[in-house]
Amino acid sequence: MSSLLEIEDLRVTFNTRYGEVTALDSVSLQVNEGETLGVVGESGCGKSITALSVMGLIPMPPGRVAGGAIRLNGEDLTQASERRMQALRGGEMAMIFQEPMTSLNPVFTVGAQIAEAIMLHQNVDRSQAMRRAVALLDRVGIPSPDQRARDYPHQLSGGMRQRVMIAMAVSCRPKVLIADEPTTALDVTVQAQIFDLLNEIQREYGSAIILITHDMGAISEMADRVAVMYAGRVIEEARADDVLDFPQHPYARGLISCIPALGKRDGGATDMLAEIPGVVPPLHLLGAGCAFADRCAARAPRCELEKPHLFAHGHHPVACHAVEEGRL
Amino acid sequence: MSKLLEVKDLAVRFALPKPSFFAEQPYLEAVRQVSFSLEKGRALGIVGESGSGKTTTAMAAIRLVQASGGQVLFEGDDLLQLDDAAMRQRRRDVQLIFQDPYSSLNPRARVVDIVREPMDLMEIGDMASRTARVRELFELVGLRPDQLNLFPHQFSGGQRQRISIARALTTNPKLLVCDEPVSALDVAIQAQILNLLARLKAELGLSYLFISHDLGVVRHLCDDVAVMYLGKIVEQGPRDALFEDPKHPYTQALLSAAPSLTGRKAQGYVRPAKLLGDPPSPLNPPKGCAFADRCPLVAAVCRD
Repeated sequence: MSSLLEIEDLRVTFNTRYGEVTALDSVSLQVNEGETLGVVGESGCGKSITALSVMGLIPMPPGRVAGGAIRLNGEDLTQASERRMQALRGGEMAMIFQEPMTSLNPVFTVGAQIAEAIMLHQNVDRSQAMRRAVALLDRVGIPSPDQRARDYPHQLSGGMRQRVMIAMAVSCRPKVLIADEPTTALDVTVQAQIFDLLNEIQREYGSAIILITHDMGAISEMADRVAVMYAGRVIEEARADDVLDFPQHPYARGLISCIPALGKRDGGATDMLAEIPGVVPPLHLLGAGCAFADRCAARAPRCELEKPHLFAHGHHPVACHAVEEGRL
Repeated sequence: MSKLLEVKDLAVRFALPKPSFFAEQPYLEAVRQVSFSLEKGRALGIVGESGSGKTTTAMAAIRLVQASGGQVLFEGDDLLQLDDAAMRQRRRDVQLIFQDPYSSLNPRARVVDIVREPMDLMEIGDMASRTARVRELFELVGLRPDQLNLFPHQFSGGQRQRISIARALTTNPKLLVCDEPVSALDVAIQAQILNLLARLKAELGLSYLFISHDLGVVRHLCDDVAVMYLGKIVEQGPRDALFEDPKHPYTQALLSAAPSLTGRKAQGYVRPAKLLGDPPSPLNPPKGCAFADRCPLVAAVCRD
C-alpha cells in the first residue's frame, strides 16, 4: 500500500554567509490516512523546514530543494507549479502554526478570514462561506460562534485563536494536516483541549496529521508513529510505543530520559536528571561524521569519519553505528 | 527548621483607567490574600496558568512590584516596611533569574561586566576581588574562564541562562527567585540547567521561589508546591502529597491535562477529567469561587 504522503530522500539547502548549508539531508517519511506522525527534536533539527517543504513554503532563494521527492497521492510536489501548490495548500493539505496571534490577520474579523479560505477553494459566495465559517467555529468548540465570527483576533484568548486557526485549516477537509508546535504558546489545560480537538477532527475527516513538537509527552498522547530528527536527518523512526519504551539512538534515549517525570519517582528532591551535554551543532560546522558524535557517550572513531544511515533494526530503523555494531 | 521567608495575606492590585472623571477608581485585583512560607534550603514551586498571578506574587514578595497589603517577613524583617536604604542592603540576600535568557542580558556589555555589575552596584570588595569572584562563579556554573570577555550573543540559550545564574549568585544571596528559568530552553538544555540549580541548592544551601507552569519541572526540583488560580493559592503542600493526592479540582485537572509519557495513544489512552473553557478574566472575577465555571464538582454554594 502506498502512503498518502511520502517524503523520499528529501534534501533542502540554504545559501547562507557560510556558503551552502544542508538543512535537510536525505529525509524520508511517510504518513497514512487517519494516522498521526510525530516529529521530535530540539530547535534547529529541521522539523519545521520539513513541514514547510511539504507545504511548498520554503523561501527560494535562499532555499532550494536539492533532491528527493514529496509525493501526495503519487503527485510529486517538488515538481508542481506554484498555481497547483496554491490549489493544494489549504485544500488537500493545511498547516497550523505555533503562534496563533501572528498567523491571523489583525485587521479582519476571524469569520471573514475563515470565509476567505473557503471561497478560495470552493465555489461558494460570500454569505454561504460566512455561514460555513460560523458552522466551523461551532465545530471547533467556540461558544456563541455567530458573535465570535464578528470578533477580531485580539478579542479572543490564545486557545480560541488556535481554535480559529484549526477551523481555517480544516475548512476544506484536508487530507494532510501539519501542526507545527500547535500548543507551545498555550497553557496545559488549553493544550489538552486542542489535542482532543485535533483527535476528533482526525476521526471525523480521516486526515493524516503530522505533529511537530519537542514535547515527548505530547508525542505519547497524540502520535501513532514517531520520527526523531537531529541536525537535518531522521535518526530513528518507529511506532510511538517502541520509541518511547525502547529508544535506540543515543540522542533519542537522552531526549526521553532527560524529561522531569510527572509521575511517582523515588529519591529526594536533589537527584539528577540525565543530561545530554553540549548543544546542537550549527549546520555549517557539520563534518563528515555523525552530527551527534560530539555529544555522544558511545562515540567511536568510526562515528567521526562516516555518517550513519538509517538501517532496519527490526521494525525500528535507526541511524547509529553503535546500535548497528551492537555496542549499545 | 527556620523560616527564611514568610508571606502573609499578600495582596497586589493595579489601578485601571477610570471610566469617567467622577467615577470611583477601579482596580484589578491581581493577587488576593496569598500566604506561604519558605524554609531555608528548600524550594517552593508556584504553579498555575498564565494570568494566575504567579509572577506578580513573587515580584511583590521581593518588592519589585508594589504590594497593596499584607506582610513579607524575610528572616523576621517585614520587607514591605523597610526604608529604601535598608531594602537596598536586603537586596543582597535576594536575587532573581528571568525566563528569557536573550532579553535579560545587556547585549552591549561583556559577560564579565554583566556578572560583576551587582557587586559594583552594592560596592562589595575591590575590583580585583570582584573579578576573582566572577571567575570563581563562572567555574561554579559550568562556563570556561576564556569566555569571560565574550558578548551575550556569542552564547547559546543554555549558556546565557548559566550567565544569569552566575550574576544572581555574586552577592551570596539566600533566596533565588526563578521566574520560569527553563521555559525558553530545549528539553536537553533544560535538564542541564535543572541539574545545575539542584546542585547549587545542595552545595550552597540556597532557597528557591520557583515559578513554573511545567509540573514535571516543579516536581523534580521543588520540595513544596503552591497552585495558583486567578490570583489566589487554591492548594499548597509538600510535593509528594500534592502530586499524589491532589485535593482541589483545579489541581486535579491541571495534573491530568499535563501530557506525560505514561498516557499512550497507541494503548487507547483517553484523558480523564476534561477542563472546558478558559480562566475567567481578572477584570471581572466571578462572585464566589473563581474556578466554579470550569469545575466538574460545582454546587450552588460555590457561586456565593
